[in-house]
Amino acid sequence: MIYIAILTVAMLIAGVGAYFFRDLIAAVVACAAVSLIASVLFYLLQAPDVAMAEAAIGAGLTTAIFVIAIRKTGRYEK
Amino acid sequence: MRAFVSFSVLALIVVGLALSLSHIPFGNSTANTDRMHVAKYYLNNGVKDTGAPNLVTAVVLDYRALDTLGEVTVLFIASLGLGIFLSWPKKEGSEDDDKRGLPPASLIVRRGSQFLFPLILLFGGYIFLHGHLTPGGGFQGGSVIASAFLLMFLGNTGYRLRQKTLAVTESLAGITFVIIGLIGLGVGGYFLNNFLPKGSVFALFSAGVIPILYAAIGLKVGAELAGIVANMFGSGSEG
Amino acid sequence: MTALWLLFLSFSAAGIALCLVRAAAGPTTPDRVVGVDGMATISIALMVLLASFFDRQVYLDVALVYAVLGFIGVLAVARYMERGV
Repeated sequence: MIYIAILTVAMLIAGVGAYFFRDLIAAVVACAAVSLIASVLFYLLQAPDVAMAEAAIGAGLTTAIFVIAIRKTGRYEK
Repeated sequence: MRAFVSFSVLALIVVGLALSLSHIPFGNSTANTDRMHVAKYYLNNGVKDTGAPNLVTAVVLDYRALDTLGEVTVLFIASLGLGIFLSWPKKEGSEDDDKRGLPPASLIVRRGSQFLFPLILLFGGYIFLHGHLTPGGGFQGGSVIASAFLLMFLGNTGYRLRQKTLAVTESLAGITFVIIGLIGLGVGGYFLNNFLPKGSVFALFSAGVIPILYAAIGLKVGAELAGIVANMFGSGSEG
Repeated sequence: MTALWLLFLSFSAAGIALCLVRAAAGPTTPDRVVGVDGMATISIALMVLLASFFDRQVYLDVALVYAVLGFIGVLAVARYMERGV
């Protein structure tokens, strides 16, 4: 139970970071951290199907698609 | 000011949701109406009805298979919209993007991606073919397959996918899904009826049509997501 | 046995927290990427050991997915850094 609380706090920290970073690559990395911790939390709550979906989508695809979109637009938030 | 307004609206929505949901007895079977009735039915009869030990698969592809068809269609529409948006004809004078050579990846990344590509494809196939036995299924396996193509795009500059192959794969998988549903309608009386023999539980070829449907969904999702990735890589850049 | 599990859980929690500190404070983007990647590695170990804890072999597939795909995001950011995407 304490473990879930620790992981939730870590996820909140990463989410707040994703909101406040001006460097969008750092924000994307924070999003990847949120997805990772969400996957571990689903796993701890005994939902391996959802954890696997979160892992498969969040590990590579979203990060890469965001990075390509940043390459096509601009790196720093104005 | 704008941030404050949006935060207060969000807080209002959260408080309203919490207030309206607070007196619903989720999972409380001692209340006068049993809200876990359906869940209990699935837990007790799921394996007997569908032959799939993974009850999530039993719900997704047997009890609620029509919703899954809708889900796959939503993903198809998203992929189609992105494809149309990114293949919009560009203005004159902006066509030198492709000639601007990208630096090639290092030898380790190049060879490593080529070595890992078939293995990751095999892993994705394993995930969606064992969807009725282990966690995972068509959506997860499809995203793993799309990740393999993403790895090839990242490791090899100038790697291209033929959009026509992707489109044919995706269409064949979707047609397979609908045809199996129609055969079920003809044999058993309702759409996506599980008409094949269930087999023995925990065997690979068991659970009737569920492995076939999951293979179709896996190929369809994989082709759609790989198409999204190919579209993102294929269009020019400005950064 | 319980003490061993407690030790392992506290170690992995400490590892995740330290990696998160590096990822949050890291002055440059590569620092953050390496922090999140270390977090992913510790999480894979956590998932494998929890599969043993829950006594379910099929749960290992989740850890396998993360182990196979976890490096692709890092590779994407690295290719961005060398302007290769």
